[in-house]
Amino acid sequence: MVFIKLDNVSLVYKLHEKLTLSAPDRRMSDTGGRIANSGRNQFVQALDGVSFELKAGDRLGLVGPNGAGKTTLLKVLYGIYEPSGGSIAINGKVDALFNINIGFRPEATGRRNIVLRGLISGWTEAEIEEKMEEIIAFSELGDFIDLPFKAYSQGMAARLAFAASTALEPEILLMDEWISAGDASFQEKAKRRMDELAEKAGIIVLASHDQSLIERVCTKTLTLRHGRVESMTMAAMEAA
Amino acid sequence: MISVVSGALDDISRAMKLRRVWIALAHEDIGDQHRRTTLGPLWLLVNYLAFVGTFVFVFQPAGKDAAGYSAYVAIGLMVWFYLMEVITVSVSLFKREQSFIEGTTLPLFVYVMRLTVQSAIRAGYAIAGCVVILLLSGPALTIAWLWSLAGLLLILVATPAVIAIFAFIGAFFPDSEFIVGNLMRVGMFFTPVFWVNNGQDPVQTYAYNWNPFTSFLEVVRLPILNEEFPVHDFTLTGLTTLAAWVVALMLLGRYRRQVVFMI
Repeated sequence: MVFIKLDNVSLVYKLHEKLTLSAPDRRMSDTGGRIANSGRNQFVQALDGVSFELKAGDRLGLVGPNGAGKTTLLKVLYGIYEPSGGSIAINGKVDALFNINIGFRPEATGRRNIVLRGLISGWTEAEIEEKMEEIIAFSELGDFIDLPFKAYSQGMAARLAFAASTALEPEILLMDEWISAGDASFQEKAKRRMDELAEKAGIIVLASHDQSLIERVCTKTLTLRHGRVESMTMAAMEAA
Repeated sequence: MISVVSGALDDISRAMKLRRVWIALAHEDIGDQHRRTTLGPLWLLVNYLAFVGTFVFVFQPAGKDAAGYSAYVAIGLMVWFYLMEVITVSVSLFKREQSFIEGTTLPLFVYVMRLTVQSAIRAGYAIAGCVVILLLSGPALTIAWLWSLAGLLLILVATPAVIAIFAFIGAFFPDSEFIVGNLMRVGMFFTPVFWVNNGQDPVQTYAYNWNPFTSFLEVVRLPILNEEFPVHDFTLTGLTTLAAWVVALMLLGRYRRQVVFMI
């Protein structure tokens, strides 16, 4: 059974640069996590007491102002950041899309980049070969697939990144707001694929400032502010 | 302590399973560096030969054996360029890999091995040039050359550890990128790369005996030039390699999770 369970998760990290010359007291910035001083060191409390549970079929939208902790939370879920406190239990094959360009080399062709992306994601050569044509077809890049990646527009890069990341049907898909880089038809196509993933008992977590995108894609919304959970609501379609 | 070492070994073990990733990326790196050039990676060979030719032309001692000096400089520059490139490039390794480190869960040792393979490929061109110079300049091809090969392999074994150490230093102390770069440039003149220690110059003798890079050069050079097995230099290089791996394992085990917050 695919699930995500976070219990009182916090993330505090030391800053290696002085952020400000203001008095070394505990401060709250308008955006971002809370900054605290301890002696000569500064610490950022990026997440504080985050708890929630997701089960198969859930599509969670992470919302909140810049620096609220949305991307940080995604990276904690993916395992890039190790939480400072609390516990995380995740069951399921996780894939993530944080940055369109990750794993893509500007000078290499789209086809070669699919191979590299596959290797980075731990695919076997057989899996890469098997999924190659499907990825090319989904991305609708046509002859561009054999041109260098640097010739692609942001939308074309987004199509290729999304197609590659979802080709092996991850059970848990984590995405940052880059998805809005694509045009309307791509977003519709991406939504259909995400629907398919969720229907196959998967979990999707999507961080975005685009409220309409969240409403179209997600069944739950988690609002973060200063690294804390402000609210968690069911979307209208789920509540109904 | 045990958890630190096991954490490091786990990172290394996961990286080794992903060897197709770092081998593919290293080949892409070499290709990208020379894309659209006429000679491609052969520029690495041209660069090496140009340096050897210049040093031999300018510094060849009067009245000495010209062919012997060519071989001396050819091996010295081959090893030194490799060490210098590995160390200076390592300092900024994690900064260059920032987008990968912040966006994937690849073990850190993948980036270390990516640079190791890339450096080894680049060194391969210099080795090819060096072998041609050696064959032309006259040192007899003997079984002792195998000791030089062993010396090269020992340096290769040390490479990932050295890369990891300097990559962590660069992540902790951003200034080190410039400090290390300058030290390595100056260090060439304090290392017996192109000068020969004859015991007459106290500064050269001091540099020869106390510079840790000396033994890395001599494990490759002495077997070919003197047909001997340099026990002292192999011992020093072996101990340095061992110490480097111990330090690298400590750093990897203790700080691999902190790197993402430091770059």
